[in-house]
Amino acid sequence: MLAFALQRTAQMALVIFGVITLTFFAIRLVPGDPARLMEPPGTPESVLDLTRQKLGTDKPLSRQYLDFLSQLARGDMGTSFRGGRPVASTVLESVPNTLALGAISMAITTLVAFPLGIAASRKPNGWLDRATLALSSIAQATPGFWLGVMLALLFAVNLRWFPAIGNAGWKSYVLPVATLVISLFPLQIRAVRQAFIETMGEGFVRAARARGLSERRLLGVHITKVAAIPLITIIGLQAGYVLGGAIVIESIFNWPGIGNLTLQAISQRDFPMIQGTVLITAVVFTLINFFVDLTYAALDPRVRLR
Amino acid sequence: MIADPTLPETTTVASSAGAGAQPSLRRLMGEIRQRKVATAGLLVFLAILLIALLAPLLAPHEPLKQNLGDNFLPPAWKDGGDWTYPFGTDPLGRDILTRLMYGARSSLIISIGAVFVGLAIGLVTGLVAGFYGGFLDTTLMRLGDIQLAFPFVLFAIAILAVSPNRTVWHLMAVLGISSWVIYARVVRSRVLSERNKDYARAAQAVGASRWRVLRRYVLPNVWQAMVPIALLNLAYFVVVESLLSFIALGLSPPNPSWGSIRADGRQYMMVDPWMALLPGFAIVITVLAIGLAADGFADILDPKLTQGAFQRQPLTSSMPDSTIAEESENDLLQVRNVCIDYPAKSGTVHAVRDVSLDVAPAEVVGIVGESGSGKSTLGLAIMQLLDAPGRVTDGALLFEGADLARASNKRMNQIRGRGIGMIFQDPGNSLNPVLTVGYQLAEVIRANRAASGDGIRTLARQSLAAMNIADPDRVLRAYPFQLSGGMQQRVMIALAMIAKPRLLILDEPTSALDVTTQAQLLAELESLRAEHRTSMLFISHDIALLAQIASRIVVMYAGQVIESGPRDTVVANPLHPYTRALIGAVERVDAAGEERLEAIAGDPPDLRIVQPGCPFAPRCPLVMDRCWTVAPPRIAREPGHEVACHLYESPGSKEIAA
Amino acid sequence: MSVPLLQVEHLSKHYPIRSGLLGRRATGTVRALDDVWVTLEQGETLGVVGESGCGKSTLARTMLWLDEPTGGSVRFRGETIGKNDLATLRKEFQIVFQDPYTSLPPRMRVRDIVADPLEIHGPVDGETIPQTVERLLREVGLDPARAGQYPFQFSGGQRQRIGIARALAVNPAVVCLDESVSALDVSVQAQVLNLLRDLQQRHGLAYLFISHDLSVVRYLSDRIAVMYLGRIVEEGPADALARRPLHPYTVALLEAAPSLKRSEPARIALKGEPPSPSNPPAGCAFHPRCPMAADLCRSQRPELAEWLPGRRSACHFALDVPAILGKAPV
Repeated sequence: MLAFALQRTAQMALVIFGVITLTFFAIRLVPGDPARLMEPPGTPESVLDLTRQKLGTDKPLSRQYLDFLSQLARGDMGTSFRGGRPVASTVLESVPNTLALGAISMAITTLVAFPLGIAASRKPNGWLDRATLALSSIAQATPGFWLGVMLALLFAVNLRWFPAIGNAGWKSYVLPVATLVISLFPLQIRAVRQAFIETMGEGFVRAARARGLSERRLLGVHITKVAAIPLITIIGLQAGYVLGGAIVIESIFNWPGIGNLTLQAISQRDFPMIQGTVLITAVVFTLINFFVDLTYAALDPRVRLR
Repeated sequence: MIADPTLPETTTVASSAGAGAQPSLRRLMGEIRQRKVATAGLLVFLAILLIALLAPLLAPHEPLKQNLGDNFLPPAWKDGGDWTYPFGTDPLGRDILTRLMYGARSSLIISIGAVFVGLAIGLVTGLVAGFYGGFLDTTLMRLGDIQLAFPFVLFAIAILAVSPNRTVWHLMAVLGISSWVIYARVVRSRVLSERNKDYARAAQAVGASRWRVLRRYVLPNVWQAMVPIALLNLAYFVVVESLLSFIALGLSPPNPSWGSIRADGRQYMMVDPWMALLPGFAIVITVLAIGLAADGFADILDPKLTQGAFQRQPLTSSMPDSTIAEESENDLLQVRNVCIDYPAKSGTVHAVRDVSLDVAPAEVVGIVGESGSGKSTLGLAIMQLLDAPGRVTDGALLFEGADLARASNKRMNQIRGRGIGMIFQDPGNSLNPVLTVGYQLAEVIRANRAASGDGIRTLARQSLAAMNIADPDRVLRAYPFQLSGGMQQRVMIALAMIAKPRLLILDEPTSALDVTTQAQLLAELESLRAEHRTSMLFISHDIALLAQIASRIVVMYAGQVIESGPRDTVVANPLHPYTRALIGAVERVDAAGEERLEAIAGDPPDLRIVQPGCPFAPRCPLVMDRCWTVAPPRIAREPGHEVACHLYESPGSKEIAA
Repeated sequence: MSVPLLQVEHLSKHYPIRSGLLGRRATGTVRALDDVWVTLEQGETLGVVGESGCGKSTLARTMLWLDEPTGGSVRFRGETIGKNDLATLRKEFQIVFQDPYTSLPPRMRVRDIVADPLEIHGPVDGETIPQTVERLLREVGLDPARAGQYPFQFSGGQRQRIGIARALAVNPAVVCLDESVSALDVSVQAQVLNLLRDLQQRHGLAYLFISHDLSVVRYLSDRIAVMYLGRIVEEGPADALARRPLHPYTVALLEAAPSLKRSEPARIALKGEPPSPSNPPAGCAFHPRCPMAADLCRSQRPELAEWLPGRRSACHFALDVPAILGKAPV
């Protein structure tokens, strides 16, 4: 298990390094000059050159890349092109808000999806199964950004039950969490249902039943322990989606999280800030994957022991 | 696969997506048509696609034509609405319906194009990675890992944000590139599994080039898996495209797309909510339609997803009178006139037809028959573990005098394991893969209160030692996949014996094992029987194997018992032509030389058809006219030796009332 | 003396066991096949038997060059086969697999399956491809009218016949039968074995018949090679080998097969399981399970040697091997 964890840590470092490099070059290779964007239109070239010097964008790409890496090694992500805030602290401040939103949404989704998915799996094509599938089909078809606005319109603007924007106490969580949960649960409920149906048909379940084990024990231990394995992957993927999807939800509800920050940085072509948010997102994402892999190995001896 | 499948492997029974057959495109479309919801989804999607493509012909107005005098018109059905603009107009007085139709055009063209871009990249990389392996594979898949290890939407947004001009091609490319990994992974794993299949190897052995193997054998089995994934991906892209437009990163204005109409509408939410609602509905309907179609395809390609939790309905009809009359004290298990059916679309399979047999305490009865003879079905029926829709339709299964077919679920659960144990053919599939052998043993010990505390471990170790397992402690700690097939089957038997069942049903327990292991297991079973006086019902296709362990042999053909009797009599003096052929077929150890093996011509019968005469008639070398029309009576030749065959209808023999 | 059809010398296949942080370091070797010598004459059947994991399937795969051997040589009609001249081998050496359910492509029609080798190697002289397909289906006892059907529409025995037709399509000299009847019902096994014998006589085929069941192999084989832990432990004419085995392992295999002639409970011919090929025991690999094992067996590995004319055995006490193991002096 330790060797497994070490191996995954090494891979994780490699992936993060890849993401950093990819983002660095992708952003710079796309046409568009941040200096020109920062200064008002019509600024003379000489002034722009000064700005470029200040930003460091006048240097050759390889030089910029090395500078960037050496800074990063010291924990410095540079300062924002806009407003001169240090990137590292700005990004890190926004992370807890995003994580809180994501964690609460994931927890609620899982608490809803597991019991409902398992119940539906017991009788495929039964009324509960059909109802669950229909509900999840509709929810799946509803784009999160549209739903978010509709919820905001109804509950914040018309009914005035919850605030529409910002983070001011628990009430602020209700609408963004609801939006996220509604876009998360369809996939998870389907995955739970499928995993349980597949596992219930396995030979070892029949053999365990032939041993006279109770149905409760069959479902609670034999089926669940095996069905949970593929679900770990799904939950991991969804956790990643929450991180990416946060961009939209956060922008709709003006949530002070990393998604909102990213979007602002992109629209302002704020290179250091884009890099910072992307880097942190990648780190969080990779950490999630890392824990998913560890959980996977812990649950499945065939992976752990090979 | 010696397993006696629950359905016979005859023509067309398997055709409805069974037997691992991959449906062809035509069959796929045929099956989709049988699913109403999926068909509806597909049709709605095609209709939307058609409207989008024909937008220039169908739209009532020009999408970009402004008419500032008519701005902010509500939909026609609201006050102030006008049927010239059925869905109203936007702030610049452009017709919303027209813009929605043109919006569908760009949304769908971008999404469909993006799916093809992703599919193309993914297919090529997946095929290359899967087929060439090695360095290329590692590099491509690591690249995919990096991309997946990162919310790619973010990346797409970053790229689009810095692009000065965003055309349909840009969006297609960015979205397509964001999705190739999914396809590549699926294709790769498919290629890996397909090219290791025996038929791909056979093609390789024939001298087919890699490219030929890929094209003829691998690809046809790969593309189908792509259909539902591509559809879901399409639905996702419709959403993402509108999302991008919504955050002003979609098509450069003024070209409409659903997302941009929505985004425009957002600003005027208070004034005119319809403008925001309508494109939302369009997206929901489109994505829903695509999703339903995708579900339909996924269901067809993976048909096992329709089996649910195990369900058993006790038989409610009353027991046949003959059963009660015949009751005897000596028998542990009495199977009386049992019939088992599997209703199927192509016709009900009558898997077991009027079967009766007895098992006495400490007796080993062997059931022999070909695949599809109903022998395994009967074993499962005794355990009341038949998979739906199979069920006992008539007769009685008396165990210690109580009818199992009519027992309550609760009662049956007590009998399973404790009264009757069962061992299946494939031991690797019969043990829980993620629980240690020790856990699984302890669980059964606790469930039976056979021991407690430290006694559990001792008993677990003893039960393994009783199966001649040399190092029980290692096996207790092991997971099933760490054990050999023979060892797994020993563990299965140890598990079954903990509750000390009076009867053990063994369904081809050694068919997946080496002959040497088989011999060891037979010896171990024999010593269990001697020690615990456990009765056994041993099911096999090999009469020679049964002759070594069973004291009585029951021969089944086409769901019926055609001969039964003491082992020595049946082996030395087989009566039924089928039994004779079975015995002829296995006498090969001494048949070396020039003589041919006695084989049975023809194939097993179609169990959906109930013939009037003897089921073996079409393959019988001694067939007579009568055999085609009259069902053969059961005739007793010697004490306990019965046969169902017209050959023995002589005045001297005694006919048994059915 | 004429050149044998197929000559295998020193053939070995070793798999490295990898471990370590990135799975790159080889920490041991599995000797799946170790220094195997086999010959096969025109029209002859060589049976190869042994328990699972003994290397018999690896032998077939390396002989066919589906897997590249680690060492040794395969000579076909006297010519050494190398990586770059497999074309002859592919035409002359065919294989029929064990599982009738996975060995045929599910989405191809029977006609296309059988025609595939012909499309690769060209049609048979004087026949069009459809004519050959029809003749082949007849030869294996299938109705040519069903050529347009898919594999799933056939029973297990019939599917194995399709596999045989495919193997015979290009008139090979050798067919490898890799457990080809093991997955079939005993009654169907007899049909297929008879068919194989007929085809052999008609076409002068040589068979390499691999199975875990000595009794199945014996019916068809002229000679039998018994494998244990990657090596041949006994080899000789089928009848002689069955009548007087020269290796205790052969005796165990013979005793393990169920027979109607011996209808008492099976003797425990052999205790335990074969040891791991990654960590074989010192001396004779069979000694931990051998009732005859002596000190010599624990220390020195017996070489495969000719003890009687045409009879090779890798046992120090080959000539003392009894007909029934149970009676062996321990």
